[in-house]
Amino acid sequence: MGTYVLRRVLMMPVLLLGLVTVAFIVSRTVPADPLSTVVSERQLNNPEVVRAAEKRWGLDKPLTTQYVLYVRNLLRGDMGTSFRTKQNVREDLAARLPVTLELTLASMAIAVSVGLFLGIIAAVRRNSWVDHLARLFALIGSSLPVFWTGLFLLYIFYARLGWFPGPGRLDPRAVGPEKVTGMYTVDALIAGDFATFGDALQHLALPSFVLGWAVMGIISRLVRASLLEVLNQDYVRTARAKGLTERTVIVSHALRNALIPTLTIIGISFAVLITGAVLTESIFSWPGIGSYAVESSRALDFPAIMGVSILGGVIFLVTNLVTDMTYALVDPRIRLS
Amino acid sequence: MNDGKVKTGRYVAALVVAVAVVAAITAACGGDDDDSGGSGGGNNDRPLVIARDMDINSMDPSRAYCDTCQIYLTATYDTLIGLDPKDNKTFVARVAEKWEGNADRTQYTFRLNKKAKFADGTPLEAKDVKWSFERLANVKGSAAYFMDGITSIETPDAQTVIVKLAASDSSFLAKVNASYAGIINSKVATANGASNAKDADTTDKAEPWFLKNSAGSGPYTLASYTEGAEIRLARNESYWGDKPALKEVIIKQVKDAVTQRQQVETGDADIAMQIDPDTAKKIKNKNVTIKEVPSFNFVYIALSPGAKDNKVDLNPKIREAVRAAVDYDGIIQVTLGGGGKKQAAPIPNGFLGTKNLALPKRDTAKAKQLLKDGGQPNGFEIDAIYPNVNVYGVDFNTMMQKIQADLGEVGIKLKLQPVEFTVWVEKIRGDGIPMTAVYFAPDHTDPIQYVQYFGMVPGAPWASRAGSKDKPIVNQAEVDLSAKALAASSDEEREKLYESIGKEMIADAIILPIVNPNLVLAYRSDLEGMHYSACCNLEVQRLKRK
Repeated sequence: MGTYVLRRVLMMPVLLLGLVTVAFIVSRTVPADPLSTVVSERQLNNPEVVRAAEKRWGLDKPLTTQYVLYVRNLLRGDMGTSFRTKQNVREDLAARLPVTLELTLASMAIAVSVGLFLGIIAAVRRNSWVDHLARLFALIGSSLPVFWTGLFLLYIFYARLGWFPGPGRLDPRAVGPEKVTGMYTVDALIAGDFATFGDALQHLALPSFVLGWAVMGIISRLVRASLLEVLNQDYVRTARAKGLTERTVIVSHALRNALIPTLTIIGISFAVLITGAVLTESIFSWPGIGSYAVESSRALDFPAIMGVSILGGVIFLVTNLVTDMTYALVDPRIRLS
Repeated sequence: MNDGKVKTGRYVAALVVAVAVVAAITAACGGDDDDSGGSGGGNNDRPLVIARDMDINSMDPSRAYCDTCQIYLTATYDTLIGLDPKDNKTFVARVAEKWEGNADRTQYTFRLNKKAKFADGTPLEAKDVKWSFERLANVKGSAAYFMDGITSIETPDAQTVIVKLAASDSSFLAKVNASYAGIINSKVATANGASNAKDADTTDKAEPWFLKNSAGSGPYTLASYTEGAEIRLARNESYWGDKPALKEVIIKQVKDAVTQRQQVETGDADIAMQIDPDTAKKIKNKNVTIKEVPSFNFVYIALSPGAKDNKVDLNPKIREAVRAAVDYDGIIQVTLGGGGKKQAAPIPNGFLGTKNLALPKRDTAKAKQLLKDGGQPNGFEIDAIYPNVNVYGVDFNTMMQKIQADLGEVGIKLKLQPVEFTVWVEKIRGDGIPMTAVYFAPDHTDPIQYVQYFGMVPGAPWASRAGSKDKPIVNQAEVDLSAKALAASSDEEREKLYESIGKEMIADAIILPIVNPNLVLAYRSDLEGMHYSACCNLEVQRLKRK
């Protein structure tokens, strides 16, 4: 497996260069004007201001020169300065990634734990009211658009009932913990600040549930279908015939085999949520990667678009690699080569 | 089912435990909210929270250019003169305790207050004013044009600044009153990469430094800025002027109006300034005060006879027909629930010279006659390309669909094409757009900015867009009148001149104002001093809790 992983890791820079090239060409050929991000609309007729802006942001150079310069700087670890935020893109991503990671990890924790639980009971109690209820819950979660769920839950649980806090990562007047990882829950724990930890956890609850619900529907349905298929296999019948408890049969024998397709979905969902939790981030005022990606795209902020593309590419490649490695761990019959 | 099977009851029990955990978290959350829903207890130490969809383009005073920037810069950088919020017209002393312009408005002298000092204790002197104005001009940011026409800035002593201009400019005081003309601590800024040199557009490297620091003499200093999340302002404890009441001000990123409303209702936010009139009507909370005030923003449609893709003879009669066919009252009702006003000229209501201008009104019979007179008796089809935005509570799609229906009644067919703003900019800078819809907010308090942007005068963007880059449309009367207005020294004279300019701009019928939306100020009732400022959006130093 070591050789396989090494080969995959060595392939990553080549794939990323391809991604950079495609992203560069696509973003530059869009019929839109990035100058509107750095020059106000009413100054776009002022040639002096426009010239200064083009020069400052490197837009006065031919596309091929811009590409070569970008790749050269990238190899030095410089992702450029965002037209929009005026910060180094690497710093922007470093500030926003932990925010999204915190939200995604919490969402995936909810999605995986509840999704597995619902999928298992739905399969074990097939066609019972438990099965119907679990499937209905899953169906609603994966069918409702997250923006609707988010706004609805905010309205009910924040504005009306006051059970959950509103948008943001902490109470609006609170100061965040000292940055170590950038994830407030983790940093608060490291600092031993349990009040901030509780505040951060409460603010994490609604957005992570909204995101997690959407993914848990897919996971529970997949687990149910896979488990039902596995439960009819001969080896499961043999296990039961040997007198093993139903818990052992399901957890140790059936579930392990049924998890393979689920792992794929978990891996893909994780990668998608890192860059795609746009609406949830926007509704809950979480300054994460998703909202950064959308705002950058709308502003045609080339350096930021490239940065997000590269980050997204890395996340997908790493997630896929980890998923493949997990296959081998879950199912000893699979040998990576 | 055999005995070994897991019982349904066990799953249910597990589910109950899970729900209980969630309930415990929610119960813990519930405790805090009631406090914030209260009055705030008259405690000015409690941070003030402003919920806004922030449009920050820079935190550097010489490069910033946005509504949120105006709030931030006003709080952290004093300007030479301020604006009285009572009438949004009268200039008041700030860093300059006295000022005067010469007879033909080519020279302005400012006498600085000796008490003025920066937040770090350094005295604010004439050299800082000179340096700040030169940097604003030379970095060539979006507000650089404020300094156009300056030939020299003299500083005969530490408290005197004399600005000389190449031509008369009666709007200069309005420009130096704008938040973009705030005075920077030149020593601190220079030490951090700033430059006022001619080549500052390439040599100035201070913008990243300004993301984390302020260097002004204002009542607040920048405590922290987290892009996409919040701006925190700390009271300048050694402020040289009247010390502000509130210890800390936080501007929070909250994207949509509905959430802003929820936050101000729960007390999580003290102020929400981007709630549309329709949403405001739904607020029935006694702890929230809703005030609808006139704004100086407006939304307009524009016709460009010279646009490359235009296939219609958009002569003055046809343009006048379009104006007569629009149902202004209906649009204000549909888009803002009645929370706006009609506007006569591309100079907003409330600005000098606008009070006697005739407001547009719908007259379909007149529109049909004008179409006939203009050579299009059967109407025509035209592309309407506009940015797909919702600004000042006006959803452009809703507005344009209504205009499409209105014009359709007289035979004018609109082909609506909503596009992203960056795409719109590409088109308007390229071949032009036959018909579009846009919005405008003032940079300062002088009406000349509208003439220089919307007027058919050389150098004005819309003169080129209406005609072509090589051959802009020019209305000589506007050119002459605006030159006189810039040289005029009395407000009475300027008012008459701007009224005449307004009439000329109406006759141009290139820019057709649709609505001047009201601004909704939604804020906690324990707050005093809430206002809308024409120069600065909101001056947080004027706020305090009861």
